[in-house]
Amino acid sequence: MSKEGGGLGRVFVVAGFVFMIYVVFTGALTLVDLIVGFSTAIVVGVLSSDLVVKNSSKAFELRRWVYLLFYTLKYLTVYEFKAHLDVVKRILSPKLPVNPAIVRVPYEVDDEYAVTTIANSITNTPGTVVVDIDVVRKVMYVHWIDAKAVEDFKAREYISEDFEKYATKIFG
Amino acid sequence: MVIDPYVLTEVLTTLLLMGALIGGILDVIAALGMIRFKDFYLRLHALTVGVIGGSFYPLILLGLYSMIKLPYPSNYYVGGIALTTAFFILITAPAGSHAIARAAHRSKHVPKPAVVDRLREDRESGVMN
Repeated sequence: MSKEGGGLGRVFVVAGFVFMIYVVFTGALTLVDLIVGFSTAIVVGVLSSDLVVKNSSKAFELRRWVYLLFYTLKYLTVYEFKAHLDVVKRILSPKLPVNPAIVRVPYEVDDEYAVTTIANSITNTPGTVVVDIDVVRKVMYVHWIDAKAVEDFKAREYISEDFEKYATKIFG
Repeated sequence: MVIDPYVLTEVLTTLLLMGALIGGILDVIAALGMIRFKDFYLRLHALTVGVIGGSFYPLILLGLYSMIKLPYPSNYYVGGIALTTAFFILITAPAGSHAIARAAHRSKHVPKPAVVDRLREDRESGVMN
């Protein structure tokens, strides 16, 4: 495990995240809520920061947060809309046109958060589901409802190239 | 021209409710897809339409709606719970889909029809365990 960022930074990142979720979930800013939320966040942060964060210095770079915001907005509007429209058309069309295949999709990122982001983005768009993943050879096996290409890198162009570009900028 | 804040709120909340209604329609379409698709893996795609289009977006829209419309103590409470739930659906639903698809393929369920099945090819040739 790398020592970059130090232990305190890691605790701060996890505790900040937990505290934010607590405050949004309760929806109140009374003194009791803040004290309970703060102490819970510190306990969770101390206990789990070694497990979930390796390099906390990445969390303090503004550029990554801007990309994260931009990617979230673009993903939730453009990509999801296109994929939903496609699958809904297929379900409602009388002939039920499908052309499914399980294709290999190679990826090149190293960070575990980036891999998870790519895999979750692929699975969350209707029409593509990650079936299995090999972290040694760096390939995902994706079930695709309309296989426009069966070659590895051609399929990657259609499925995950954009996701990977942003995941590298956010977490890589 | 001055826009009346009351009218603006009414228009905004009506738009939010209409969006949530579209989510309900997507849920019905997803159920239809579950019946019409005959293969397990194809049904997973219909499932994703139901989870993201039928739960995630309506929860966000209803969270914003309740933040605007409900009286003070309960608006942030209900809205906050809706937004947090939406966030956790977004990050946990793919984990479930992924686990169930992987389990199906490991128990030798063949996708049918399928143009190619690279995962089975690699399992048979021993590259992937």
